[in-house]
Amino acid sequence: MSLTLYHRHVLEDYLAGFGEKANPNHIAVIRRPAIFSILAHRAHEAAVEDALKPVEGVHLRYCAPDEWLVVSTTLGAAVIENRLGEIAGASIVDQSDGRALLRIHGPNVRKILAKCVAVDLHADAFAIGTSANMLCCHVSVNLARTGADTFEIVVPRSFCGSLFEDVMEMGREFALTAAFADS
Amino acid sequence: MTSYRLGSAGTVNRGQPLTFTFDGKSYKGFDGDTLASALLANDQMLMGRSFKYHRPRGPVTAGSSEPNALMTIGTGARAEPNVRATVAELYNGLTAVSQNRWPSLSTDIGAINGLLSPMLGAGFYYKTFMWPAALWEKLYEPVIRRAAGLGKLAMQADPDRYEKSWAHCDLLVIGSGPAGLMAALAAGRAGARVMLADEGFLLGGSLLSESASVGGVSALDFVKAAIEELASLPNVTLMPRTTVFGWYDDMVFGAVERVQKHVAVPSPDLPMERLWRIVAKRAILASGSEERPLVFGGNDKPGVMTASAMRTYANRYGVAAGGKVAVFTNGGSGYRTASDLIAAGVDVTTIIDARAQSADAVPEGVRMIRGGAVVDTKGRKRIDALIAERSGFQEEIACDALAMSGGWSPIVHLMCQRGAKPVWSDEAQAFLAPDVGSAFVAAGSAAGAQTISASLRDGAAKAAALARELGFAAYEMNIPEVEGEYDPAFAPVWYVPGAKGKAFVDLQNDVAVSDLGLAQREGFGHIEHTKRYTTAGMATDQGKLGNVNTIGIVAGMRGVSPAQIGTTTFRPFYTPVSFGALAGTSRGEHAAPTRTSPLHDWAKKNGATFVEAGLWHRSSWFARAGERTWRESVDREVQTVRSNAGLCDVSTLGKIEIFGTGAAEFLNRVYCNNFLKLPVGKARYGLMLREDGMILDDGTTSRLSENHYVMTTTTAYAGEVMAHLEFAAQTFWPELDVRFVSVTDQWAQMSLAGPKARTIMSRVVEDDISDAAFPYLGARAVTLRGGLKARLFRISFSGELAYELAVPSGYGEAVADAIMEAGRDEGICAYGVEALNVLRIEKGFVTHSEIDGRTTPDDLGFGRMMAMQKPDFIGKRQSSRFGLTAADRLQLVGLRPLEKLEEFSAGAHLLKEDATPAMANDQGWVSSVCQSPTLGHTIGLALMKSGRERYGETIVVWDGLRGGQVLAQVCPPVFVDPENRKLQG
Repeated sequence: MSLTLYHRHVLEDYLAGFGEKANPNHIAVIRRPAIFSILAHRAHEAAVEDALKPVEGVHLRYCAPDEWLVVSTTLGAAVIENRLGEIAGASIVDQSDGRALLRIHGPNVRKILAKCVAVDLHADAFAIGTSANMLCCHVSVNLARTGADTFEIVVPRSFCGSLFEDVMEMGREFALTAAFADS
Repeated sequence: MTSYRLGSAGTVNRGQPLTFTFDGKSYKGFDGDTLASALLANDQMLMGRSFKYHRPRGPVTAGSSEPNALMTIGTGARAEPNVRATVAELYNGLTAVSQNRWPSLSTDIGAINGLLSPMLGAGFYYKTFMWPAALWEKLYEPVIRRAAGLGKLAMQADPDRYEKSWAHCDLLVIGSGPAGLMAALAAGRAGARVMLADEGFLLGGSLLSESASVGGVSALDFVKAAIEELASLPNVTLMPRTTVFGWYDDMVFGAVERVQKHVAVPSPDLPMERLWRIVAKRAILASGSEERPLVFGGNDKPGVMTASAMRTYANRYGVAAGGKVAVFTNGGSGYRTASDLIAAGVDVTTIIDARAQSADAVPEGVRMIRGGAVVDTKGRKRIDALIAERSGFQEEIACDALAMSGGWSPIVHLMCQRGAKPVWSDEAQAFLAPDVGSAFVAAGSAAGAQTISASLRDGAAKAAALARELGFAAYEMNIPEVEGEYDPAFAPVWYVPGAKGKAFVDLQNDVAVSDLGLAQREGFGHIEHTKRYTTAGMATDQGKLGNVNTIGIVAGMRGVSPAQIGTTTFRPFYTPVSFGALAGTSRGEHAAPTRTSPLHDWAKKNGATFVEAGLWHRSSWFARAGERTWRESVDREVQTVRSNAGLCDVSTLGKIEIFGTGAAEFLNRVYCNNFLKLPVGKARYGLMLREDGMILDDGTTSRLSENHYVMTTTTAYAGEVMAHLEFAAQTFWPELDVRFVSVTDQWAQMSLAGPKARTIMSRVVEDDISDAAFPYLGARAVTLRGGLKARLFRISFSGELAYELAVPSGYGEAVADAIMEAGRDEGICAYGVEALNVLRIEKGFVTHSEIDGRTTPDDLGFGRMMAMQKPDFIGKRQSSRFGLTAADRLQLVGLRPLEKLEEFSAGAHLLKEDATPAMANDQGWVSSVCQSPTLGHTIGLALMKSGRERYGETIVVWDGLRGGQVLAQVCPPVFVDPENRKLQG
């Protein structure tokens, strides 16, 4: 007997009610992102960070001293596991199913996020490429700025539904929409 | 009805008339009016009834310090009580109702309290309603509440939305009058991120009420130009309708923005109010100053208001407070009001100056009484005359409005909210802002500046200095010339002697000068005591107008300086803030975030009822057709697990991945039992202790490879254990190579338990899981049929043959479906945490009902797990304390009722037979109870003194809370399969 198992995104039911059209302020919920936790071991901290930077097709997200998330919306988890597996002094853990990736974009994105996080997201304080762990609507997330008006939220799966509803509520005055996206 | 609207003066938009109602009567106002200015324009001076004596009252200010003109605005669920009409922005269709009166505002039965006022002085309630005590709650308190009070809540759910937002800036400017505007311009031009917040619906502060010209144009045009420039700067944020109400640690300011309070039909997509938490590197308090009322006989009657309020109504709103106005002043403000009113065409009859002489210019045609006083006013719903006194001679002067000015007090509230007290200045005759460090400074009249030009200079200079401190190049600014400003200097008059009527010092709470005297005589002399005894300075206005006069009068009574009296304590909020704004979106189901398991939808479609366990929503039981109570479902689930198999969601357990060459040694130190030699591919139950020797948490840890483990924690302690591990690794043993990461969310984990578990699991898992290949406590990666990688653990929390299967969360539902399908012919069922609890109690397994922070391993029967031969582990040292090894400690036992049908509950206490039911005879208590479907009666786990020595003893289970006693037999805590035959099978 062979099992055919379907993968289910945590927001499947939440997004069912949204139409096709994305408004200027929009959340793209990445359907199958690859997300890994990287832990650098003692005495390998700098070497691990140096080794992570040139890895192609992935984004590095700072979490804590010597701890990062590696995120990719284009490469599969298996590919990344192979690429990262060779880094000496690092432990890597697949979190692709344990985290959801929400990309929020639009002209009012900072006003929306100001209702969600306590961190100053002005470009002078939180430039493109910056990321940090922070509370977002009471939930611990990793927030990264990936563009002038684009941020990515990496949120634990179990909190994702609750967080999604809260962020949508904060975006209500700016007609925030949401839909799945493949990358 | 006369119209008091002036011909052309003011900033209201006369092209946009608005209709509104007050007490059911329709009125007209203009866009730009406040409710108070519109009512005044319609000759409606009477706006409320006072708190205690129900005296008729009109507005005494034109701003947020208003004590009198409180109204209920809106209808139905949107009715909001105690709104100050003086700041309520008028909109079309606004509905306002007066408060604290019956049957109507003009005929109020409660006014009889005024006749009783000799009996109702300060402390009246404390003295009168002392006996009998039982009547206080039943009679006195409800009656007093009905007689005295403010508006009433709608008692309906608030239909509107509220939000909270953060903001960050280099400089927060609080107040947009002359100092605030210049401060914002100075820092804004320098490139700093500036936020300019003002409680008013128009920015400009006091300049909106000024007749002077600034920079060669009218004050209003100056404001318009400044706002236009500020609005054009991308680094400046303008926040009208935003009250900064609190100053908190780390330069965080709390503010509330009234987003839609002025809108007839609120948009459902916008919040009604928005609470701001503003993180400012620097802040300037440009909140201006408050004009003090004078305390004289009859000073509370409708028509008596501060001189600056009367000026604001005339200059800003184009409304005359009366047709025949008198002025009572101790400084320049009264004279300025007189001349502004005359310029607007209002008849000013008399200026009464408390001072014998002054340099202020007396407008032509106005009668001047120097060294005089007002000792009483006449009229009820609006004054019609005043009694003036000079040199012992009294004279009645006809007037329908009286402007009073008792000098000025800087508004320093925010700077005093974190412990600093305002500082008395003899020179300014006022309490000035304290020095609270260089990050937060006062400017303009909040800092004691007296004139517009001084405020403009002060605001610009202080903002430029702060901007430079932050590294911005702030250049000197041209300070605009002010023409026609006046000198507001005054001589203090705390109390006008000779009052013929009551002289009120706190208008909102009906506190008269006589009450202050009574408080001093009765020993409530400290200003904080005086406040509580008399209620001066309480309620919605918190004494914004009256407090300084209270202090001055008490100082006078005691013959000391106000500096020695000091002020009462300033606390947030500056003005009242609604609970809705403070709660924001966190209400109802969103009061706290919720966590759902990857098997949530699987549980839902299988009929689960959910229970909140912390933030998690866990499946509690799975009702099937025909089952009428939860017990029926739970009994069926338990029996199915014991006879066939059941599937339970255990995804909520904490899961921590542990890596490193030091991981084995680390685990050996955080667990009290041995972990150093755990073989790869095996799981082990572990007990983690706190330093004090009590159990912190339990769970299993499995070794997946030489330097790689995965730990499970209880659902409730997942976060605590993670923090505990990080703390131990970073501070106790930084030399150990060990790293952790939580993977709780990565894995959907399900427990398949029951005699048929292996049969079912082998249909899903490709690997050989025979007892030989995968024995009890086996733990390793497996492949599901079809290729999905998973982790399998042979561990059990039910005493049955059981497996926990972990799969990536996204596949959780599909895999659970597959297991249910594979087990259909074996009679599988889904079971929830209720059945899980029954199964574990039957087997004597403990949870946090027993691991409650007061129990040691030995208490729970795990004494032999303590590996005392290990060099060290957390909790080892303190475990040998005398109290922890005492023979009469509470120990885990089982309880079964002597009579099979009798039941008892968790929380009940244990007594020896024939002992008097009292805690003095306490033998322990019941920690967990369930109805065992396997045994057919109630069973319980209990913690009992020397429990393990007392198996067989009959004990009384005493439930003092619910009532009742049940006889039970003490037994070992394992009720089902004590030999573990099923577990190992």
